[in-house]
Amino acid sequence: MSLSRFLLKRALQGLFVIWGVVTVVFGLRFISPGDPANVLLPPDVSESTRQQVVAELGLDQPLYVQYLDYIAGLLVGDMGTSLVTKTEASGRIIGKLPATLELAVAATIVAVVIAIPLGVLSATRRHEPADYGATVFSLAGISTPNFWLGIMLIIVFAVQLNLFPTSRRPVGIDDGVAHLVAFQFGLAWNDLSTWLWHVTLPAITLGTYFTALITRLTRSGMLEELGQGYVRAARAKGLPETLVRYKHALRNTLIPIITVVGLQLGTLIGGAVITEAVFNWPGLGTLIINSIQARDWPVVQGSIIVIGVGFVVLNILVDALYAYVNPQVTYD
Amino acid sequence: MSRDTRSSVGRRDFLKAAGGAAATASVAGCLGGDDGSEGEEQPDEFEVSITQGQMPSGLDPHDHRETPTDVVMLHAYEGVLSRNADGQVIEKLATEYERVEDGQVRFSIREDVQFHNGDDLTPEDVAYSINRIVQEDVGFASPQRDQLAGVTGAEAADGERAVVVTSDGLNPVVFQEFATYCDVMQQSWVEDRSKDEIGKQMNGTGPFVLDDYTEDEEVVMSRNEDYWRDPAEVSQLTFTAAEEASTRVNQLLNEETDIVVNVPPQEVNRVEDSDAARIAAAPSTRIIYNAMRYDVEPFSSQQFRQAMNYAIDLESIVSNVLGGFGEQTGQPTLEGFVGHNPDVEPYPYDPEEAERLVEESGHAGAEIELHTPVGRYLKDLEIAQAVAGYIDELSNVSASVNQRDFGALVDELLTGNIEDKPPWYLIGWGEATFDGGLVITALLTTDGALSSYSDEEIDEMMEQAGSQAAEEREQTIQEVNGMLHERAPWIYLNRQYSVYGASERIDWSARSDERIDAYAISQQ
Repeated sequence: MSLSRFLLKRALQGLFVIWGVVTVVFGLRFISPGDPANVLLPPDVSESTRQQVVAELGLDQPLYVQYLDYIAGLLVGDMGTSLVTKTEASGRIIGKLPATLELAVAATIVAVVIAIPLGVLSATRRHEPADYGATVFSLAGISTPNFWLGIMLIIVFAVQLNLFPTSRRPVGIDDGVAHLVAFQFGLAWNDLSTWLWHVTLPAITLGTYFTALITRLTRSGMLEELGQGYVRAARAKGLPETLVRYKHALRNTLIPIITVVGLQLGTLIGGAVITEAVFNWPGLGTLIINSIQARDWPVVQGSIIVIGVGFVVLNILVDALYAYVNPQVTYD
Repeated sequence: MSRDTRSSVGRRDFLKAAGGAAATASVAGCLGGDDGSEGEEQPDEFEVSITQGQMPSGLDPHDHRETPTDVVMLHAYEGVLSRNADGQVIEKLATEYERVEDGQVRFSIREDVQFHNGDDLTPEDVAYSINRIVQEDVGFASPQRDQLAGVTGAEAADGERAVVVTSDGLNPVVFQEFATYCDVMQQSWVEDRSKDEIGKQMNGTGPFVLDDYTEDEEVVMSRNEDYWRDPAEVSQLTFTAAEEASTRVNQLLNEETDIVVNVPPQEVNRVEDSDAARIAAAPSTRIIYNAMRYDVEPFSSQQFRQAMNYAIDLESIVSNVLGGFGEQTGQPTLEGFVGHNPDVEPYPYDPEEAERLVEESGHAGAEIELHTPVGRYLKDLEIAQAVAGYIDELSNVSASVNQRDFGALVDELLTGNIEDKPPWYLIGWGEATFDGGLVITALLTTDGALSSYSDEEIDEMMEQAGSQAAEEREQTIQEVNGMLHERAPWIYLNRQYSVYGASERIDWSARSDERIDAYAISQQ
C-alpha cells in the first residue's frame, strides 16, 4: 500500500472516530447535572427572563434539532457561542491552543532529554547503583501526582528560592519567533527568556510522569537490543562499544519510543488540565476547568473535540513516521 | 492574535522598577492624608495587580451578574449612587436624590463629569442607562433587570440637570438598588457600537481607563487623569484570574500580584507568616444557612427545627472550622442590613434542650440527611459535616451529609416547586443591597425564588412592608426577623467573611460588599 493510500484510509477512519467523539460529547451535556441557564442566571431572575435566555441559547429545541445544528456548525468551524463571554467558542478555544501546545512540547523535550540518556545508562550499568537510582527515579516519577509535584515545585523554587515565577505566561513563544523573524533580536531574546522562565516549572511538572515512562521503556528496549545477535556480531567484529550501543542498539530502541512519544504528546495535551490549573497557564486545560465550573458547555464540548481531533491526527502521523523509520513495517 | 509588546518585559522587572519609584515617592507622601486624595502630586508609577477567581465575562456593565465582573467594571463605570466602605448609600454621579412621590424618585446629575472619550455626561445618558437595563426594547434582555426591581423607566427632566425615575408602586428599596447597580454609559457611544464591541471596550466616567483587554487573560487599565475627583494614586491597574486558591496565594507571596480573593483558612497562616503580604478580611453580605422544608417530617415540626438550632455549637464552628472568619447568626437578616433585629441572639448550644425538644416534637429516632455543595462557599463541606456531626451526637436523631454538585443542587432549588427540593440543605445567599426585606422575600416567603418555607403571617407582613415608608418598613422587618428566629425555618449558621490576601506594599482594606476599589488603594 502506498503512503498516500494509507493516509487516506487512516483519515477516513479518523473521521469516524471524530464523529463518535462529537456525538458522545454532545450527549454528555444532557446527562450532566446543572442546567446552564441556572448557572448563568442568578436564582432570583423572573421566569420570563429565564425562558428568554433558554430560547436564545436554543435549549428549548428538540434534541435532534440541536444535534444536527451542532454538527452543521462544526463543519463550518462554528462551535457555538460561549455562554459566559457570549463570544464565539471556537475563537476562545483556538486562542488557547498555542499555550497548551507549547507546554506539551516543552514537557516532551524535558522528558526526552532526561529519559533517553537515563534509560541508556540504566541498561548499560545493569544492577549497578546508577541503574537502581534510575529505577527509583522512574518509580517515583510514575507515582507522583502532577498537582502535588507542581505545588511543591512552586513552593520550593518560586516562593522560597524565588528562582521562577509561580504561574501565568505573559508571552508566547510565537511572539519571540515573530520578533526573531523581524530581526528584532533584543525583543526576541526578551520574549524567549521570559517564556523559558515561565515554562520551566510547568514543563517539569507535566514531563515528569512521561520522563519516568520513557526511562523505563528505553532501559528495557536497550536491554533487549543488547542481547540480540547483531549486537554480539558487531562486538565480535571489534566495533567500539560506544558505537555498538548508540549507533546500533539505541537506534533500534528508539523506534517504539517514537510511537510512545507521539501518542503521549496527545495525552499531554489532554492531561495538561491539572498542571495548567496549578500554574494558571492560559491554555486549553485552564479553559476547560473554568468552563466546566461555569457550565459553559459550548466551550467544554469544543475543547474536547479539539483534543480528540489532535489525538486522531497524531495517531496517523505516528503510524506514518513509524513505518518510515522502520522499513520492516509496511503500510497496511 | 496580537499582543501588546509591553508585556514582553518580565513582570518582576517591572515590579522592581515600580517598587523603587514607589519607595522614593512614599517618603514624600507619608505625611499627607491617608486617603490618597489630598490633591498632591501623584507618584508616576504605582502599579497594582488584582487576582480574582474568574476573569470578567465581558466588559458590558449591564450584561453580567457576577462579582468578579463587577469588580472590574466599577473602576471604569459609575452609577448615580454608590456606597462607602461601611455600606452606606452615598452620592456618586448624582449630587442629590429625593423621593418626589410614591413610585417616583429624582436624581440631580453632577456637572463637569466627562466620559473617557472626552464627552460630557448628560442626564439623557443616565436615563438611557436605566432604560437600557429595565426596558428590553431599548437594549437587550439585561440580566440586571431584576436588580432594579420595580423600576419601570427613566427620563431626563426638561431643562434641568435631573433624571426622574418611575417605579410601579412605592418601591421602598429604590435607592438601595441604585447604590449597588446601574452603571452609567454614554448613549451615543453605545448606539454606535455592536454588542460585541461594547463587550470588549469601555467608556465610563470612572477613575480608570481601559488600556488592554485580553479575554480570559487580563484587563489592564490606567489612571484617568481627567477624573472628576482627584486622580487615583494607582497609575496602572491589572486584573488577572486564577481559579486555584493555592495558585493565587503563591502569586501573592511571590509578589506577582497585590490583592488576591478568597484565601482559604488553611492558607491564612502562610500569608500571615510571610513578609510580603497580610490577610485582610471583612464580613461579607452572604449568609450561610441550612434550610429545612416546612412541609415534610420531621422538619414540619417547629420544635424539631428549634432543636436542630440548639444542637449545634455555632460558636465552635465559627472559631474552629472557619478559623474565626465568620459571625454567628440567629436571624435571616445580617447586622448592618435594613431590618436587622438587634435583640435577637443566635441560638445557644444546648444539646439537652435539643434532645428534649426532639422528644416533644414526636420525631425521636429521625434519620436526616444534609445536602451540601462542595467548594462553593468558604468551608461549606466542613461546616455541613460539623452540623451533621453535632446533630448526630444527639441521642435521638441521626444525621449524615450528602455532598452535591452545586449546579445540580441549585437546579432542584430553582424549579419553583417545593417538592423538588431536598428536605434539608446548606446554601448561601449574598444580598448586595444590604436589605433584609429582599432576603426574606426571596428565601422565606411562600412564593420566594428559593423558599422552602411558608407562613401566612410572614407573607402578609412582608407584603405590608412592600408598601411602607422606610422607618415603618424597617420595624416590620425587624419584627419578622424576631418571628423567624422563633419559628426556626433554618438552622442559622454564619455570616461569611471575604478573606483577601494583600501585599504589604499597598494600603488597602477589605469591604463588606465584596468590591475591591483600587481608587482607595495607596502606597504603604
